[in-house]
Amino acid sequence: MHTETTPAQADVSELDLVKRSQAGDTDAFDQLVTRYRTRVFAMIYNMVHNEQDAWDLAQEAFVKAWKSIGRFKGKSSFYTWIYRIVMNVTIDWLRKRQVKAGGAEFDDAIELKQIDPASKTVPKADPLPHKRMEHKEIRDRIDKAIEQLSPEHRAVILMKEIEEMQYHEIAETLGCSIGTVMSRLFYARKKLQNALRDVYENV
Amino acid sequence: MKTFEEKWTAWLDEKLSGKELEEFEAALPDLQVALAEKRDARRLGVFLKEQLAAQRLTNEEFFSHQIRERIARETENDSPERATGTTWWTIPRLVWCGATALALFLITTFMFLGQQESSEQSDYLTQILKSQVNPVDSPNATVSIFESKTDNKVTVLWTEGLQSLPADYAAK
Repeated sequence: MHTETTPAQADVSELDLVKRSQAGDTDAFDQLVTRYRTRVFAMIYNMVHNEQDAWDLAQEAFVKAWKSIGRFKGKSSFYTWIYRIVMNVTIDWLRKRQVKAGGAEFDDAIELKQIDPASKTVPKADPLPHKRMEHKEIRDRIDKAIEQLSPEHRAVILMKEIEEMQYHEIAETLGCSIGTVMSRLFYARKKLQNALRDVYENV
Repeated sequence: MKTFEEKWTAWLDEKLSGKELEEFEAALPDLQVALAEKRDARRLGVFLKEQLAAQRLTNEEFFSHQIRERIARETENDSPERATGTTWWTIPRLVWCGATALALFLITTFMFLGQQESSEQSDYLTQILKSQVNPVDSPNATVSIFESKTDNKVTVLWTEGLQSLPADYAAK
């Protein structure tokens, strides 16, 4: 995972920054924030699709991380640990918002015929007119497709495809088994393939 | 035992190898369709990475500044759980404080009661002022004069074992 660091900051090991933060050094924690703020924000934004909400949730996640950094034992990498906080904060928020809005449960199920590879689930998309889709239009389509996924499925597909995290890292972040991660990835991919095929085949 | 979904995902991400890969591909009803699906899924991954990874945090310094301020406020209000990961009012500390408070209460109570008893005693505590006994007339007799310590107006003449009070006796 790439982090946002200057050459001078790179000299300081992450573990050292964590230990200093645990001792109450806010400057050390500030450096950790600098390293991860962009990625954390981008991850949350891709899940909630609103800049202000993503900003607030990222802030909340970092403040929570500061409060509980004493409990970080170094058994996992720091970014896995902070991503776990980020995911808990974001998934909780999405669930609460869904309850407030009185929305229906996220439909994670897909038709059986879409699972069976022999059923030719790769229909050729209809070609679009001879013009490329505008970037905003593409982004809107992606956002809408991701919104159809449950928070857990969103988290899995984004951590895998954007952050390029390994199965075991995703499992650690979400507090579930590797099998669950793989299963969620299967359904999330299928849904996004069906929803976005005409877009990514024509971009 | 992996489910079909798990195997499919592992196959898409090139995590299957050897005998497991052979068995999985052999079990697929149509390998060509599955391979097309695999290419499609990988295309989706590349597409998402291209489109979503570009999201930037604007005003990064202000973002960090806000976090610093929130942390400073939080630190003022209550110090965060640092290295120990515990709060001050742990159960052992509560027990310790309770035991200390009980001990203090008992000590204070005993001290107070002790003072009360000595105060009661002092009311009756008397001082032998004079003792005059004629050993010839009354060999076993004692004569004592007591005076209250707290109230000097009260004087008690205590006689014991006297046959008779000597005529020339004068209590002072």
